[in-house]
Amino acid sequence: MPQTKRRTKQVVMENKEESSPERKLQCNDVSKCFQLLERILDGELVEGGNEMLQEKLDKCQPCFAHFHLEQAIREVLKTKCTKQPVPDKLAESIRQMIQDAR
Amino acid sequence: MSDVQRRKYSQEERSTIFDGEFMPHIDSMYNFAFRLTFDEDDAKDLVQDTYMKAFRFINSFEQGTNAKAWLFRILKNSFINDYRKKSKKPATVDYQEVETFYNSDDADYQRTSDLRAESVRDMLGDEISNALNALAVDFRTVIILADLEGFTYEEMAKILDIPIGTVRSRLHRARNLLKDTLKGYAQSMGYATDEEED
Ligand SMILES: [Zn+2]
Repeated sequence: MPQTKRRTKQVVMENKEESSPERKLQCNDVSKCFQLLERILDGELVEGGNEMLQEKLDKCQPCFAHFHLEQAIREVLKTKCTKQPVPDKLAESIRQMIQDAR
Repeated sequence: MSDVQRRKYSQEERSTIFDGEFMPHIDSMYNFAFRLTFDEDDAKDLVQDTYMKAFRFINSFEQGTNAKAWLFRILKNSFINDYRKKSKKPATVDYQEVETFYNSDDADYQRTSDLRAESVRDMLGDEISNALNALAVDFRTVIILADLEGFTYEEMAKILDIPIGTVRSRLHRARNLLKDTLKGYAQSMGYATDEEED
């Protein structure tokens, strides 16, 4: 993990260091772990989710990286893809159509 | 839905529901319509059609329930029935096919594991938007519903008429495909990925 890169640190959990000697470098079950992390990020509560999340972020580097990547993707989608300008007269024309249909 | 319905709401109630519960979602509806059709006029028509249908079938809407999900479902159905057929765009890849084709999470992970959160955050709005738009419509739709609009899996299942398990797997697959595209951008723009580090 390069130490020279400029980076914006995202504060989500207490342990936010990008690399930590506490974390193992191999995930035991990428598929299962990542799907769990994604469900937590999607706000779909799973039993004991928070404890499991904390454990994975503390102990597993691939899980840590995946969680932050997935979180970043959700953030940029939300902030950068919802600004499609609505045509000026759309609301007005809908109200007119409803008026006429009455 | 049927044209013949018992009259549930008075004229006044209908106006209240329409203005108070339906109209506030017009921005989200237009954004959804535009990302489905990629055309301003088609998006406008689609939103207008949706609101007309919402008005016609207003008696089948339960006041106080999730109006936004109800409207999104109508819009999605209108898109499939009226727009998708006449679309000039080349046929999109059927998602079933894609789901069978990419069936390994480990392989997905190998391909995108070096994409970094910081690189994604540094990308421009257009890059993110283009990556989303490049997805086949069924994948694009679940991302729009989940990440742009914040619907729950359960709401998405109702909007799309598919089981929750399918919502979950389609969303997971959609995000992996999105990451593939973002990784391509990150590399071509010279953003940091672990592969490039020395
Ligand atoms: Zn792990």
